[in-house]
Amino acid sequence: MTNFLDAYSIQYWLESCPQGYLMDTDYGHPADEKEPALVIEDPVLRDAAIRTTVQLVVGERCALASSSGLVGCAPDAPSQCFLATQTLDEARHVEVFTQRLYDLGVKKKELEDVIARYANPNLVKFAEILLEKVDKKDFVAGVVGQNVVLEGMAFSVFEMMETVNRDPNPKFAHTLTGTIADERRHVGFGENRIGSLIRQYPERKSEIEQMQKDMSYFMLATFADNFRSNEMQQEVEHARDELDAGARGDATWQGVNLAQAEPAEIEAVLSDTILKDFQARLGRIGLAYQTPAKPRVAA
Amino acid sequence: MSGSGIDDVHALEPEDFIEEVHSFEHWFEAVEGYLKGLDHGHLPDVAEALLTAEERDRLIATFCSYAVAETAALEASSGLIAIAPNRHAKIFLSTQTVDEGRHVEVMLHRLRELGVPDPEAEVERRAGPSVRNLRKKILQLVEAHEWDAAIFAQNVALETMEYTVFRAHARTADPITRDLLERVLRDERRHIGFGENELGRRIREDKKRRLWLGTVKSELDSLVLQTFEEAMEEIGVPRWDRPSLGRDYLETVNRLGLV
Amino acid sequence: MSSVDVDPGADRTRGDADETPRRRYELEDLGFDEVPKKYRKFYRRWNGPGDTIAPNEALCPVCKVIIRSPRELRAGDRLYCMACMTRVRIVAGENGGLETETLY
Ligand SMILES: [Fe+2]
Ligand SMILES: [Fe+2]
Ligand SMILES: [Fe+2]
Ligand SMILES: [Fe+2]
Ligand SMILES: [Zn+2]
Repeated sequence: MTNFLDAYSIQYWLESCPQGYLMDTDYGHPADEKEPALVIEDPVLRDAAIRTTVQLVVGERCALASSSGLVGCAPDAPSQCFLATQTLDEARHVEVFTQRLYDLGVKKKELEDVIARYANPNLVKFAEILLEKVDKKDFVAGVVGQNVVLEGMAFSVFEMMETVNRDPNPKFAHTLTGTIADERRHVGFGENRIGSLIRQYPERKSEIEQMQKDMSYFMLATFADNFRSNEMQQEVEHARDELDAGARGDATWQGVNLAQAEPAEIEAVLSDTILKDFQARLGRIGLAYQTPAKPRVAA
Repeated sequence: MSGSGIDDVHALEPEDFIEEVHSFEHWFEAVEGYLKGLDHGHLPDVAEALLTAEERDRLIATFCSYAVAETAALEASSGLIAIAPNRHAKIFLSTQTVDEGRHVEVMLHRLRELGVPDPEAEVERRAGPSVRNLRKKILQLVEAHEWDAAIFAQNVALETMEYTVFRAHARTADPITRDLLERVLRDERRHIGFGENELGRRIREDKKRRLWLGTVKSELDSLVLQTFEEAMEEIGVPRWDRPSLGRDYLETVNRLGLV
Repeated sequence: MSSVDVDPGADRTRGDADETPRRRYELEDLGFDEVPKKYRKFYRRWNGPGDTIAPNEALCPVCKVIIRSPRELRAGDRLYCMACMTRVRIVAGENGGLETETLY
């Protein structure tokens, strides 16, 4: 049973991250890279960058709490060891995104206030559904919620953000590349380990499927708040005025040119990509995907 | 915080020092020095010593108990992240979680190297009773969200004991076991230091904690001592040659004022 | 390790009244591999009770690693042990020598 887990061992992790793609980085990016002057100096862009980064910190704090909470209820040593490496990956993500807030000019003393002010309430609800399962020491639901739903979402969001930032903000894009590499392992573990557990506990299916539906709803609500807000509309227009087409580069992701698309179009492609991805992954591990309700348009 | 030309590390401001040593970045650069190029926790080119059947069996029993202690530390350090009072402590504990996960992994692998086909089952069968009780006790404190008591139980009591036992064992062990233990000890140094400093700071802020921790300590003492004696028995250190667990443990407890 | 010059000025971590200039020490990496490379020269392994501790060195009371400073130590100085995260203060011992105290 544990053979496939060898690729998730701490040994493997040490060779691939600290001695691999994280070598010679400083908070996740090459030491000589900085936030672009435009982002730091333009109040609208800086504010937008802070708001986005806060959501990343919130998501990563949730992942840190859940992966650490799941170590104690994992059914075997290899799974415990994998979750130990994931715990540290998530702590690193919290650290690098927190550092980005500092780089954007947030003062250390203001950190918690800034996070509380900008954290999207729907994202917080999304996290609470997962953490409730973890609190109950429910390993199977916890891993589906964490490694399939939360990570599946993070994976696509990071990929999209990396595409958008590749030309205008290589520092942030590189930070994201390292986290994407980590999330790949996490998503892989979710699928590989949980499939056999679902077969073992078929009676748990419906409850876990409901969790996926609820979490998906709050994810969509978070996106809706974000992409449909007036601030977002203004920020996008402003950013496009400031950055000429050359600096924006070719930011094509999932067939959509993100440098030109309207926010609604970006929201649609992001939601769609993630939900399709959930469906495929859940199908492979033997769970039926549940379509979430459509959230109302945010005020 | 990068750059190699640091003139005097001792000139850092205390807050910057604390932020630095608790960070992932620090951990990451620290372990690189002694974990690079290993094969399951030891240097790859060390040859297995010839062990008699009895020696091998005793070593297997010892590693079974170690694996329980390390699993306790893995479960406790990960469980403590949720109740850690600040971000530094959370990030430090995630580095400790992966250290402990590494210890569990290399110890189970050592059992495999010693010819045990199913290490997890062997641990279940052979680990000593005291170390199991200690694990239970530590996890109870974590579950009860007793931050100070759990940090004391894990990072002071359990880790100081492990530190003393592993050092004693490394002195007489076969070369592979010695190399493995010496690298585990390098990680444990951070864990012990974190525990003592964290509790030291918290006692300073709130004197009532000292009394409470004194009670926790006296409740744990006999369990820690039994586990220690059990380990010494397994390693086969004669009674007259046993390092005194008392010394390291009492020194720490004295510095913290928990007498 | 050789002393190269003297430290002329008043400085932030000095707590005693001794005004005489301090000896300075050029530190080199002695292979202590438990801290990031950039900090290695500030530490070395302790070889037990027979090990001579230089005037710019102190034994960490918590983890028994030798902490090294680029200058001669005096009572009141603050040191950091990066191996176990301890803050240490140098204090005058009863027998006239220097001792360490943890600061937490
Ligand atoms: Fe993450
Ligand atoms: Fe993740
Ligand atoms: Fe350990
Ligand atoms: Fe430890
Ligand atoms: Zn130390």
